Amino acid sequence: MLTDLQTLDDGASLKAPICIFGAGAAGITLALELEKQNIPCLLLEGGGLTFQEESQNIYKGEVIGDQNTDIAYSRLREFGGTTGHWTGQCLPLDPIDFEKREALPYSGWPITRADLDPFYERAQPYLQLGPFAYAPSDWNLEGPKLPLNPEKVAFGIFQYSPPTRFGETYRAPIETSKTIQCYYHANLTDLVIDEAGQITGAEVQTFGGKTMSVSADRFVIAAGGIENARLLLNFTKQRPAGIGNQHDLVGRYFMDHMNCKLGTFLPADPAINLSRYLAQIVDGTPLRVNLRLPAEVIEKQGLRNNALLLEPVWQSESHNDEFRDHSWLAFSSIAKSLAHGNPPDQFPSKLCTILDQPSSVAVGISRHLMREVVPHGELQSVFFKQDAEQAPNPDSRVTLEDATDRFGMKRAVLDWRITEDDLLSLRKTHELIGVAIGEAGLGRVKLGLGLPPNDDDIYTGYHHIGTTRMHDDPKQGVVDADCRVHSTKNLYIAGSSVFTTEGTANPTLTITALAIRLADHLGREAGDGQRHVGRNDAGQNQAGGDR
Amino acid sequence: MSKVTRRAFIGLAGVATVAVVGYGGAMLACRGVPRHNPDFFAGLDDEPLRQAAQEVGRRVLAEYPELVEDRALKSFLAARPRLAEAATVSCPDTRRRLVQDQCGADFAAGEARVLDGWVMSETELRLCGMAAKYA
Repeated sequence: MLTDLQTLDDGASLKAPICIFGAGAAGITLALELEKQNIPCLLLEGGGLTFQEESQNIYKGEVIGDQNTDIAYSRLREFGGTTGHWTGQCLPLDPIDFEKREALPYSGWPITRADLDPFYERAQPYLQLGPFAYAPSDWNLEGPKLPLNPEKVAFGIFQYSPPTRFGETYRAPIETSKTIQCYYHANLTDLVIDEAGQITGAEVQTFGGKTMSVSADRFVIAAGGIENARLLLNFTKQRPAGIGNQHDLVGRYFMDHMNCKLGTFLPADPAINLSRYLAQIVDGTPLRVNLRLPAEVIEKQGLRNNALLLEPVWQSESHNDEFRDHSWLAFSSIAKSLAHGNPPDQFPSKLCTILDQPSSVAVGISRHLMREVVPHGELQSVFFKQDAEQAPNPDSRVTLEDATDRFGMKRAVLDWRITEDDLLSLRKTHELIGVAIGEAGLGRVKLGLGLPPNDDDIYTGYHHIGTTRMHDDPKQGVVDADCRVHSTKNLYIAGSSVFTTEGTANPTLTITALAIRLADHLGREAGDGQRHVGRNDAGQNQAGGDR
Repeated sequence: MSKVTRRAFIGLAGVATVAVVGYGGAMLACRGVPRHNPDFFAGLDDEPLRQAAQEVGRRVLAEYPELVEDRALKSFLAARPRLAEAATVSCPDTRRRLVQDQCGADFAAGEARVLDGWVMSETELRLCGMAAKYA
């Protein structure tokens, strides 16, 4: 069932065993998994079925840290959430990403990669991916291998989702569901918590001024990496510091990926065959091979994780993509929507973006046409493109400003910090790959970061991670291994905000896997008839976990 | 001026033929030598490359002067028989291969440094340094 909350009477009550706030990748997956267990749930989305400025406006806030990011439009506040404009690149976190590493401050998840593997496997179909296979040996890849020393350079696989737009792909299953009551324009404005830490109810409001109450046995906030923290920090009526924030952790440890095209490989032989490392479709699955350092090298050198893609620069500029900017992306988005027979969302905004910089659209169109007739010529160089890991940092954070949104909720302030150690780690990673390339006689590598390094060319990956981090110890994490907020009995968080570290993987696959895992956990709880399961604030396991 | 006799002409032609066949044979032999390695700094008898090497070498002298100290160079060359062999061969491709093999061995042994952002082997840094120091 899919209904506009505005159509209900003011003061109406909503009730279900489980209530999920946020209908993005995490919330929709969670609801669909609960449906498989025949557990009714409420799925409440603040935005509409498509982009609406009055909803998106809620996301406006201030950016006070690194300025190469965005808080207002990098995420989408609508049914389907940010999957409405994600690029679809997927990779699971590596086993080393879950481990406590001496050189990575605040690292160490309370779960392992092996714990998550069965859920990764189940997450693949949600994102319309191939099998859960991320090693090059899993695939019959085209093109020769680069003769790099396997002790120095490893390879992995990125899989590519179409990308799945959850708002389109899962709209019909939710509309026809007998167990999912999905309401849009349902903006969460308060959670009521009792002395014992039990969430006893919630308040939601519509843009039309109606207020409804919600009751459930268990509540899940699945509103995104920044919004999850903003909501918890705003709920100060019974908890002055915000719910789950008794140790001043909510909003801290904000991480993004250091998205950059830095580092250049100058091949000795311009005729080198790199086809294995470019986009290809194998057995119907779009994928691409990435280069990375082996886990042993990362551990020994004390580095952050990184998986880099090779981006060739060809002699004929018609085959190069450096023209791609916001203007081109806006044009491309409109063109894709029209090609699929859908009206483009945010059309006025995208049209104005194109008009601001029409030349890149003209260049892009002409180059795409030229590619059909002009050969790419000799290889000039190869860029390293990556979403590099940064370490968890308590000073990198989401806080609140005094300005409020239309519901009286304080807006978010994003203070994204990139440390010198983050940058030095990326530089060292490129240096070690350069050594391996030199050893193989393939050419030379020029580092993209100098000394001291600066972050001018580092951009957001639009990945908002870590603000309600998972840790066994309530003094070091907001949620426990079951994603339950430590200081509550029945409030859970879904999404990338629970990641303890971010690795180098785009987060959507892990978000989906964790949502499935949470659904299983909630299903067991419901089946057991337990009011609350998890760990108390002393970190003691009360009734077992999912590990 | 004496006339070019038939015998002298045949002799000259024979010498020329031997030279051409010898050179051609050497060229054919060089074709069998792998050439997929970088060209960097292996053809220092090539004037543009020599100038480039000297330019790199001046940076080496500024940033890593210890690599080009006379005593260090002596032990460096002694420990790299491929370079000594390269100095004795006339085939540029063979020489290039020997130098590049040595560079590869440097990288494998972790003997690499960063110069102006480039990740380079100590061999090429020292060769460039010498090109600048003894220009």
